[in-house]
Amino acid sequence: MMIPVSLISLVDDDQSVRESLPGLLMQLGYAVRAFAAADEFLASDAVEQTRCLILDVAIPGMSGPELKQELLHRGVRIPIIFITAQSNETLRTRLLAQGAIDFLVKPFSDTTLVEALDKALRES
Amino acid sequence: MKDLNASLATMEPTTACSGFGIAQVGAMIGGLIHRGRPLSIVLTNLCELIDAAAKGYSSSVLLFDRAHTRLRHIIGPGLPAAYNELLERRAVRCDVWPCEGAASDEPEAIVSRVMSDTLQVGKVLALAYGLHSCQSWPILSLSGELLGILAIYQRETARATPFHAALAQQLTDIASFAIQRKRSEEALKKSEALLAQAQRLSSTGSFCWHVATNEITWSQELYRIFEFDQTAPVTLQQIATRVLLEDAPLVRTMFDRARSDGIDLDYEHRLQMPDRSVKYLRVVANGTRDQDGQLEYIGAIQDVTERRLSEEALDTLRSELAHVARVTSLSALTASIAHEVNQPLLGITMNASTCLRILAADAPNLDLARETVGRAIRDCQRASDVISRLRALFAKKRCTTELVDLSEATREVIALLTSELQRRGAMLHLGLVDDLPPVKGDRVQLQQVILNLLLNAAEAMTAINDRPRQLTIRTERDGGERVRLSVQDAGVGLEPQDVDRLFDAFYTTKSSGMGIGLSVSRSIIECHDGRLWAEANKGPGATFSFSIPRARESAPAHGHCPAARRPALAECAVGNS
Repeated sequence: MMIPVSLISLVDDDQSVRESLPGLLMQLGYAVRAFAAADEFLASDAVEQTRCLILDVAIPGMSGPELKQELLHRGVRIPIIFITAQSNETLRTRLLAQGAIDFLVKPFSDTTLVEALDKALRES
Repeated sequence: MKDLNASLATMEPTTACSGFGIAQVGAMIGGLIHRGRPLSIVLTNLCELIDAAAKGYSSSVLLFDRAHTRLRHIIGPGLPAAYNELLERRAVRCDVWPCEGAASDEPEAIVSRVMSDTLQVGKVLALAYGLHSCQSWPILSLSGELLGILAIYQRETARATPFHAALAQQLTDIASFAIQRKRSEEALKKSEALLAQAQRLSSTGSFCWHVATNEITWSQELYRIFEFDQTAPVTLQQIATRVLLEDAPLVRTMFDRARSDGIDLDYEHRLQMPDRSVKYLRVVANGTRDQDGQLEYIGAIQDVTERRLSEEALDTLRSELAHVARVTSLSALTASIAHEVNQPLLGITMNASTCLRILAADAPNLDLARETVGRAIRDCQRASDVISRLRALFAKKRCTTELVDLSEATREVIALLTSELQRRGAMLHLGLVDDLPPVKGDRVQLQQVILNLLLNAAEAMTAINDRPRQLTIRTERDGGERVRLSVQDAGVGLEPQDVDRLFDAFYTTKSSGMGIGLSVSRSIIECHDGRLWAEANKGPGATFSFSIPRARESAPAHGHCPAARRPALAECAVGNS
């Protein structure tokens, strides 16, 4: 009997990130699905299966924080790790206060990501 | 006075007029005027002299106001005080007494009307005091204006001899002279007071400088502005003590040029007052020749301190704003670059970490490791693409090309900069060639370069106080195919280690400034296929020059121009994430 593999979803419009992050996550033993935009993620069946969402703040169309609100609105509770290329203390404080797992500023290290993931999966 | 009266006593009215006596009266009155006695005293003395000379007669002068619509004053020292008072009261009571609308009448008609009224009013009193009859003559100005009336009363009925008309004519001439002289003195005083008031209000003083003798006439306001003792005449040495040390070469040059060329002056300089405060002056003067052909300067000096200080405050504010704006746009640009580069950096980090983990396994999947490293390398390429893209943004604007006359373009810049250069105490010399071959390029950009070079030169001289701040801008042909512009200053000069880095972006030797100017200038000149360079002068200071090819008959438009314009912020945000 196989141990069910946790699904991690990634939403980021940057191709480098969409290719490199999944590589690391798979090496860590997770299943990964990557999306370039919020609506792609919402339209997929990954929404129900995702154990942790790694979400870029500034994506075209629906932004990261807006997607978080939308999930809340739909009653979907997924732990979210925000990632961003531009640090913003105000946003960081607000998102953490609203229950985000972490707020990581690119480029971050693999250990930082692993710690955040451990925390997310403990909570889910 | 007694002797004079004695000699006048010979002036017997019934006999031929004694010219000696009249000449004495004239001299007497002239002396009183010269000593600045008031008109009423002068005229009273005149009447007394007449009365003393002509026995049995009492003279009186009735003065009109300027519009000769009313009597202003009645003088008659030999007449009974009660009689004069009666007429004065009459004059005061009636504004237009005695001859409304008289201005348009003939003087004789006015005199006749006034006198008949006067005699009517004073008849009873006159008879009571033994005034028997009265003759009157108009006192006329040179232009024929009625100034007053000379009235001569006869006391003794027994000797009813009329006063000699020719003598009366000479006496009215003397009275007329006295009145006109006093009136012009009054007018002069009034005009002087007006001028002084206007000078005070506008903080402008006037002066006259006789170049050969160095004699200086200095208006009261200038005494006040320079804070000089008004009792002593002003000397050039004294003026020099007030000039701010830094401005002394400028002022000296202006004086030297005035002495040698007689040119019109228009410049600004500063004073340092005894309490160490600084005043800003604007000097405007015209060189003229006096009647002996000697050079003379007549000019005005305005204290523009208040205006200058507020302009300076405004300038400071403006440059602070400009600095903030530059820093803001720079920080926005930096954030944008950081954002773009951080994405592939994350990719590189993640791929490298993944690769390490793959290699740490007991049986490493080398194909997967190779693939991951390949992705890392590709991310490096993408980071470098971001930088290229940003650089391309700076390069995407084309030059507007037109034929530009560098001499003319320079003159336009100087027209904008004159007061700024003067404010910084720089003495600008022009060496602009008139028949310079045109160059092809962007006029505004070239002018930005010229402006930048001039401002840099002026700035390099702000700390120079021991020599004139000479600033020379020249245009000339540079061989057959090129045109050269150079800006030479007498400033702090160049350090050898600075020369190579001067044109690097963000390199500056100044405490203020971002070090962008010269780097942008160089790219503009390079965009015109030219060259911009700096050299130390043989003497103090440095010379910045550029040389660009002259326009060809059918030169094609230029290609890309790297520094044509700085990108707008929106354009700096390349993509987003």
